[in-house]
Amino acid sequence: MAEKARAKVPQAGDKLAFLLVLVPYLMERGRVSVTDVATHFSVPEEQVRDAVRLIAISGIPGDTGTYQHGDLFDLAWDDFEENDEILLTNLVAIDDSPRFSAREAAALIAGLQYLSGLPENADRTAISTLMAKLSRGASATPSPVAVEGTESNAVLAVIRDAVDNGTQLGFDYIDWKGEAGHRIVDPLRVESLDNDWYLRAWCHMRESVRTFRIDRMIDPASTGEPVAFRTRDIALGESLFEGSRDDIVVTLEVARAALPLLADFSPAAEEPTDDPEWVRTTIRVPHFHRLKRLAAGMSATVRVVAPSDARAAVAEWASAAVSRYTGNPDPVT
Amino acid sequence: MASGRVPVEERLFSLVLALLATEAGLTKQEILSTVQGYRQRYIPGGDNANLERQFERDKDDIRELGVPLETVEPLGEAGNNQNLRYRIPKGSYELPADVRFTPEEETLLHLASMVWREGSLSAESDRAVLKLRSLGLAPAEPVLGYTPRLRARDDAFEPLSGALQKSAVVTFSYLRPGMTAPTSRTVEPLALFQHEGRWHLYSRIPGTDDVRTYLLRRIVGPVTVTSRRFTPPAGDQAAIGLAELAKVWNANTAVVRAVPGSDAATRLLRRRGSVASADEITLHFADASILADELAEFGPEVVVVQPESLATAVRERLERVVAAHAESGGGA
Repeated sequence: MAEKARAKVPQAGDKLAFLLVLVPYLMERGRVSVTDVATHFSVPEEQVRDAVRLIAISGIPGDTGTYQHGDLFDLAWDDFEENDEILLTNLVAIDDSPRFSAREAAALIAGLQYLSGLPENADRTAISTLMAKLSRGASATPSPVAVEGTESNAVLAVIRDAVDNGTQLGFDYIDWKGEAGHRIVDPLRVESLDNDWYLRAWCHMRESVRTFRIDRMIDPASTGEPVAFRTRDIALGESLFEGSRDDIVVTLEVARAALPLLADFSPAAEEPTDDPEWVRTTIRVPHFHRLKRLAAGMSATVRVVAPSDARAAVAEWASAAVSRYTGNPDPVT
Repeated sequence: MASGRVPVEERLFSLVLALLATEAGLTKQEILSTVQGYRQRYIPGGDNANLERQFERDKDDIRELGVPLETVEPLGEAGNNQNLRYRIPKGSYELPADVRFTPEEETLLHLASMVWREGSLSAESDRAVLKLRSLGLAPAEPVLGYTPRLRARDDAFEPLSGALQKSAVVTFSYLRPGMTAPTSRTVEPLALFQHEGRWHLYSRIPGTDDVRTYLLRRIVGPVTVTSRRFTPPAGDQAAIGLAELAKVWNANTAVVRAVPGSDAATRLLRRRGSVASADEITLHFADASILADELAEFGPEVVVVQPESLATAVRERLERVVAAHAESGGGA
C-alpha cells in the first residue's frame, strides 16, 4: 500500500520539474506562443497552459508572509487569454536553469560511456570534456553508474557507413538454422541492446525486413550499389524481434525469477504451476532452432512443455551436445 | 483562506520559491505557517504533526529532483531542532554559467539520452533532457539509422541505484551458481556497472575494507534499503569496480573447439579478446557459470577443451536439458 501512495509523487515531481525549467526558458525567450513552447518541450499545449497559469499565481511569502502582489510572478493575461501567448511581466526567486540531479547526470554520463566506443566517437577527449561538464552541472556528485564502453569495431564502421551513404551491403551470414549463404541487403538501421549489435535491413533474398546479428556477419562490404529502400521508406517496429504468422507457439515452464530474461519473446500472461516458484507461459518462436538455444542456455530455469515435437527437438539437440563429451557416437544423426 | 485544496505541485513549487528567496533560511514553523499549500492547513499553536510529516516528504521529493535543499544549524544552538533553518542556496541550485553545450555536444547528449529506453534511468535521462531544453536545446532530429540501447531490466537495479545515491546499506538474497538456496547478504553499495552486457553491483562489507561484486541477475526477491548510512570511499568506484572485473576477465581463459563454419565458430571468434589457433578458440570470461550457459546454448556446435571444471559445468547443463525434456519427464 505504501508503494501505491508513493507512486503518485513522481507525477507531482515531474510537474514541479517542468515548472522549474519553464520559468528560466520563458525569461530567456520573452514573448512566445504556447504552441512554440509545447513544441520545444515536446509536451501537450494544455500542459503548458496549466503550468503558466500556476506560475502566474505563484510567488514568495515576502516580508509580510502574506504573498503581496509584488512577491508574485505576473503574466500579460490579455495576451495569454486572447492570443495564446506567454509573457512574464514580473519575476521572483528564479534566475536560471536548475542543475541536474546526481542520478540525471549519471544517466547521461553512463549513456555517453556506452557511446564512447563507437567508431564515430573516436574523439574520446570530446566525450570526457562533456562528461566533466555534466558532473559540474549536477547538484551532487553523479551516482556511480558506469557502462563498459563498447569496443571500437571495424565491422560496425563499415555497416554504419553503408547506412549513412545509402549503399547496399553484402556479407556471408549464418542464420539461426546454421545455414550459411551470401546476402545482399539495404541497410536500414543499426541497433543495439546492451552488448549485442544488430542490423535491420531489407533482405533482397527474403524480400522482407530482417534483423541480422552483426557478430554473425562475415566480411560485410559495401557493394557500391545505391539502396532501393531507406529507413524513412519503411516503418520499422520498435521491437527488434517481430513475430511473423509462421511462428510456432510454444508452452514453457519458467522459474519466476527468470521471467524478465524472456522479455524479448513477449511471453503471454503467466499462469501458475504446482510449484509456486515456477510459472507457465507461451512464447512464439520462428523455428525450433531458436527454442533449442533458449532451453539450453537457461537449463536451470526454462523447460519446454508443448508441443511434443518441440520438446523432442530440444532433447535431441542437448543429447547430441552431451555425446560430444561422452565420446559416444551421436545417436541422432 | 482558499477552501480548495492546493495541488501538490503548487505546494512544492511554492516551497522551492520560498527557500530560494531566503538568504538566512526559514524555520520549519515559518514555512508551515506562511508557505502556500502549508499555511492553509496550519493550526496556530495547535498540533501540526501531519503537516510536519508532509514537509519531510516534500523535502525528499524536492531533493530527488536535484534541488540542493540545505539545513542550516544556527551557531551556538546545535541540537535545537526548532531553530533549524532551511534554504536553497542559489549558487548550488543554478546551473553554472559555463555549463553550456556546443552543437556537437548537443548531438551527443541527445544520443546519450536515447540510449536509455526503459527502466528508471530512462526517466532520469528524460528529466535531464528537460533541463537541457530550458537552456534552449532544440528537440532532437530523430537519428533514423541508429539506435543504440541500454537496458536495466533486473528488478534489483532500481532499489540499488536509489540506495547508491543515499549511501544506504542494503540487504538482499543472493543465489550463487551451483547452490540451490539463496543466502542473505548485507553490503554497502559502491557502484553499479554494466560489464559484457550484464549489470553488476560493486559493494563493500560493512565495517571492513573487503569488496564484493554481485551479478544483479542472481539477486533473488526484493532488495531492502536499510536506514543505515555509510561514508563511501574516495575515488571513482564504478571505474574501480569495472577495472577489478576486467582484471578477472583478463586472467580467466577457456579453450573450446567449435564446428568450423558453424554459428558458434563465427560468434565465439567475434567475441572481444578471442584468439584462434588451429581448430581451437581461446576465450576470456569473468564468470564461469555465465560462460557455461552461453556455451550450452550452442549445443553440439562447440565442445569445451579446458578448464575441466567448465567442461563439466556445460555438460551438466546439457544433461539437465536432456532430463527435463525426455519423453515422460518435465511438466505437463
